[in-house]
Amino acid sequence: MDRRNFLKTTIGALAASQIASPTWAQGKPLKLGFLIPKSGPAGIFGPSSETTTAMAIEEINASGGILGRQVEALFGDAGGAPSDTVQAAQRLWRRDGVDALIGQHDSASREAVAAMLRGQLTYVYTPVNEGGYCHTNTYSLGETPDQQLAPVIPYLAKEHGLKKWYLIGNDYVWPRGTNAAAKTYIAETGGEIVGEEYHPFTVDNFDTSLTRIRESGADAVLITLVGGASVTFNRAFASFGLDKQAIRLGTLIEENTLAGIGEANSNRMYSTAGYFDALDTPAALAFRKTYYDRFGADAPVLNTLGEGCYEGAMALRAMFEAAGSTETDAVAAAANGVSYTGPRGTTTLSEGFAASDIYLATAKGAVFEIVQRFEKVAPGNACTNG
Amino acid sequence: MQEAIVFSLNVSYGIISLALLVLGLAIIFGLLGVLNMAHGELVAIGAYTAWAVQSAGLPLLLALPVAAVAAGAIGWLMEITIIRHLYRRPFDTLLATWGISILLREAIKLCFGLEYKSVIEPVGGSITILGADYPTYRIWLMVAVVLGFVGLFLWYRRSHAGTRVRAMVANPMLASAVGIETAKLARRAFVLGAASAGLAGCLMAPLIRIDPYMGVDYLLSSFFVLVVGGLGSLQGVFIGSGVIGGAETAASTILGGTGGYVTVLVISILFLWLKPGGLYARR
Repeated sequence: MDRRNFLKTTIGALAASQIASPTWAQGKPLKLGFLIPKSGPAGIFGPSSETTTAMAIEEINASGGILGRQVEALFGDAGGAPSDTVQAAQRLWRRDGVDALIGQHDSASREAVAAMLRGQLTYVYTPVNEGGYCHTNTYSLGETPDQQLAPVIPYLAKEHGLKKWYLIGNDYVWPRGTNAAAKTYIAETGGEIVGEEYHPFTVDNFDTSLTRIRESGADAVLITLVGGASVTFNRAFASFGLDKQAIRLGTLIEENTLAGIGEANSNRMYSTAGYFDALDTPAALAFRKTYYDRFGADAPVLNTLGEGCYEGAMALRAMFEAAGSTETDAVAAAANGVSYTGPRGTTTLSEGFAASDIYLATAKGAVFEIVQRFEKVAPGNACTNG
Repeated sequence: MQEAIVFSLNVSYGIISLALLVLGLAIIFGLLGVLNMAHGELVAIGAYTAWAVQSAGLPLLLALPVAAVAAGAIGWLMEITIIRHLYRRPFDTLLATWGISILLREAIKLCFGLEYKSVIEPVGGSITILGADYPTYRIWLMVAVVLGFVGLFLWYRRSHAGTRVRAMVANPMLASAVGIETAKLARRAFVLGAASAGLAGCLMAPLIRIDPYMGVDYLLSSFFVLVVGGLGSLQGVFIGSGVIGGAETAASTILGGTGGYVTVLVISILFLWLKPGGLYARR
């Protein structure tokens, strides 16, 4: 579905739900501000974020809204530099008067937005993140490295007899944080690190890294390259036949990235996340069916980042209703221990992060297949920035 | 020994793929003095053509003429509507082609969406050269590109078209005075440059990531080559690709990815500063 059709149907559906709703007259709508990438390289995750958000809002309104108020979604672009995301957040907050912000963007923008808000507005951050931080009234729903790796590394190490790990990622806080956690878990399995490297986003040739991986004799590669870099790396990795030497594990290889890597290059590749389009739990299947029925078979493919926006809205409903208010202090007092049910199962908020089920999936051609489920993995977050 | 072979093949691949990608930009800049900021998007269109042909179930070889025609047609449209009014106004062409690049990028998003596309290699697997495994498609690509460049060079040196282009470049007024239709010639040169960008994208498609923003990467590295090699000659393209591609591969072997990129930047800055005409200056 193209953007125009999407807007038409969304606006149509929103208008219809508002006309039909008896509670519409009871008060001002509750406004949720969504910061999602609509432009730039991360814009690839924009369409699926918009559709899942529209679906969440429709479902919430159909079941009576939040605190008896109908809900309205407003969008800001988070696809540019952190400073642009901050401006978008300010517009949503100051001009549009949103009751909460939901962010699906990179960690650098999260730090900037949290610094701007200074706890004055409830802010739910949905994507996979490096953990280890905390800000007042900021809640992170996405998977931390501890969740993604603590159960998965021992499982894979045992399954494949892995001893030598090579770590490769883009050069910023999320890959470095993930690898710091990974080192602990690898050491616990008796494995060693045979290489670690970080690349700027501009690198589009990984030949020398691949030579190094071959020479290191690595039998596992942990990939924290993002988006296009991950696509380029994995394509070259397989074309050099390295898939025979080492398994690959990615902590952000989602459905779009896998499509770019392609069926010919995905042999022995694993991904760990709380949600996959291939997830076959009753909750995920129901979510999937509603989504593709609603937006058609050509809808943007479901992935962990898009799914996060849906969960962001569901988490806020649970938090606001537990608090009986949208006031930040009331929400903060009530938030800890609040549970809600989303496509990845029942998720429980804990100290600003979320405990949830984690899945390990392997690529079968250009789609994922779930290998193993790890129940209710704790976010293991000790906040280090006070 | 194996490492040395893989290393030299990597260096060759770096140089040859860069030369292939730069050719279109070099033709248009060298012959017409137009710095085509939409070059990367023409490369992207070639890559998307490869994807479209493959996902339609047709043989990938068919994508080559389709990509050349598609990118050439867009180049032709660019030339007759905008570029021809701006020859000899370098800054205006820079802005105009930059605008066109945004337009093309948005058009790609509308037609193909934002998602990554994947093109499967026509020849997969790897072949063993002196005991070292190397991806088969890369070897084929290198052979084809080198042959293509030799052919192009011979044609440019020997044919009348080549002579006329060289006359136009050397002195446009005199060239038109002796009956060379410079307007038509310029248009052909522009279309040729655009078509070769499309061909490059199509040939590289199985090896690279394909998304609407891919063009920017190729524009940048192409500029570095032109800065080092000198603006506007086939020899300059090869020398520039050799220096940039070779330095990047060698430096990233020793210093890592970031080091490789920094080395390329430093070399480009030094050249702009100390040898602005490049190694193989036209004049």
